[in-house]
Amino acid sequence: MPLGKKRIGIVCPYGWDTPGGVQSHVGDLAEYLIAQGHHVSVLAPAINEEGLPNYVTSAGRPIAIPYNGAVARVLFGPLAFARVKQWISSGNFDLLHLHEPAIPSISLLACWAAEGPLVGTFHAASTRQKIAFAITPFIEPVIEKLTARIAVSEAARETLQIHLDTDAVVVPNGIYAKRFANAHVDDRWSGNTLGFIGRFQEPRKGLSVLVDALPTIIEAVPDIKVIVAGPGNPVDVLDSMEPHLRNRFTFLGRISEEDKANFMSSVAVYVAPNTGGESFGIILAEALAGGASVLASNIPAFDSLLGHGEYGTLFTSEDSRDLAEKAIDLIRNPAKRRQLAVRGSEYAKNFDWDVVAESIYDIYEMAMVGSTGVTLSSDNRAWNKLLGRNS
Amino acid sequence: MNRYFLGFLIIAILAWYLSFLATRLDRLHGRVETSWANLDGLLQRRAAIAIEIARSDIADPASALLLTFTAHQAREASVRDRSQAESGLTGALSILLENSETISAPIELDLVRELDELTAKIKVAISMHVEAVSRTQMVRKKFLIRLFRLAGHAPAPVVYEFEGDVF
Repeated sequence: MPLGKKRIGIVCPYGWDTPGGVQSHVGDLAEYLIAQGHHVSVLAPAINEEGLPNYVTSAGRPIAIPYNGAVARVLFGPLAFARVKQWISSGNFDLLHLHEPAIPSISLLACWAAEGPLVGTFHAASTRQKIAFAITPFIEPVIEKLTARIAVSEAARETLQIHLDTDAVVVPNGIYAKRFANAHVDDRWSGNTLGFIGRFQEPRKGLSVLVDALPTIIEAVPDIKVIVAGPGNPVDVLDSMEPHLRNRFTFLGRISEEDKANFMSSVAVYVAPNTGGESFGIILAEALAGGASVLASNIPAFDSLLGHGEYGTLFTSEDSRDLAEKAIDLIRNPAKRRQLAVRGSEYAKNFDWDVVAESIYDIYEMAMVGSTGVTLSSDNRAWNKLLGRNS
Repeated sequence: MNRYFLGFLIIAILAWYLSFLATRLDRLHGRVETSWANLDGLLQRRAAIAIEIARSDIADPASALLLTFTAHQAREASVRDRSQAESGLTGALSILLENSETISAPIELDLVRELDELTAKIKVAISMHVEAVSRTQMVRKKFLIRLFRLAGHAPAPVVYEFEGDVF
């Protein structure tokens, strides 16, 4: 990347130590930019300040609030505001990149406090956010300060257009496509298998929809197996289902990135029955990159990521009968699966960090045109100059 | 006494709000200018590349002539005619590069690649500019801003009607 090295500040609204799409996106982006030689500092709430990567500054302990169908760990309040201002004034940044600035969080606070080139990325894609956006009149003047807006998907862009009446450039979240290109088929997971990755105990991940669909699928495909990867305690899930279904399930626990790639290459169908609260669905991009044929619920984020069904099969969200039908059709039809997988892995190249980070950096460059860097907005106020306060 | 205090408070709040609105509008005007400067710079670079392409072996004499003509027109157009002139250049470029797979010489490939990158940037620059302009127009329409003439002498921004027709 030309034009010298920049000092970039990134604000992540969600608790750094809880796993999530936004957090890992911010982490990957920061690491990519650092590898390019830029100076990057990330401000994020954190429960445990030890063990954070050295580019992350903690803004304090996050508070758990229910938001968008999940529990969001965010942070706001006077103390957080003071820390945000301190971080901005000591960071001497050329540009700030704020993630999800439309929800009450440190991103919003940073947007309020800063003046200069600001880029905002909007992740949430949901048309039912009336409550969250009821505070629009207050947020509008703040969001207006953003020099450039990025939406992670077409769905997120629409959400933005409807609720905040502003347009955005679509840049997807990134994956390391190379990791998935070298994946190989693992015999333990191949055959007539359905794959699932995620924190399966969370209701919005929709494992129960898949469990409900299983009896119908077993009738058509007697040797079907379900392989579940991801953190959580399988005992509760197993206890809640019919006894004859239990031996169909294999729980792998948390798996490594390398295993994840092999997993995606091995399973017959990757199933994502999420019922909502998904901002982008990076896991689907990874599944496509790994060469899996994907069956996902038709929630806005997935619908838009899968090109309305062009790169994967969609079923009606929360409808286990529809899931079963589509799954049976896919399992019985290897040619169709292969065709989807080939198309999907080609399409997944668009999500590679080399492509994504380059587009984001282009936007940074445009936002920085003619600016001298980020300052606190209170520094520019006329009365400060009048009173001789120069900070 | 209490009444005076209340009156003072209301005036203070109003003054604060007006200063807030004025800052907001000023920032928007600033953004309209910088986003335009950015877009203008990118478009100038595109015209320069178009002329280079016209001089290279990619272009046959007829398209070279068309390309040179539209590029010069785009560079010299006044703000009012600019968007039409740029669309003309876009048209000329797309006719020429419709089957760009046939190009094999490395220098020409570089030119085409540079143009592709520039086009992507121009798209973003246009959306940033259009956004800044429409925001500014919206805020300028606010009652208090018109009443107190907070826009001052800043010229009303014009929309650049250019969306979508860059390739």
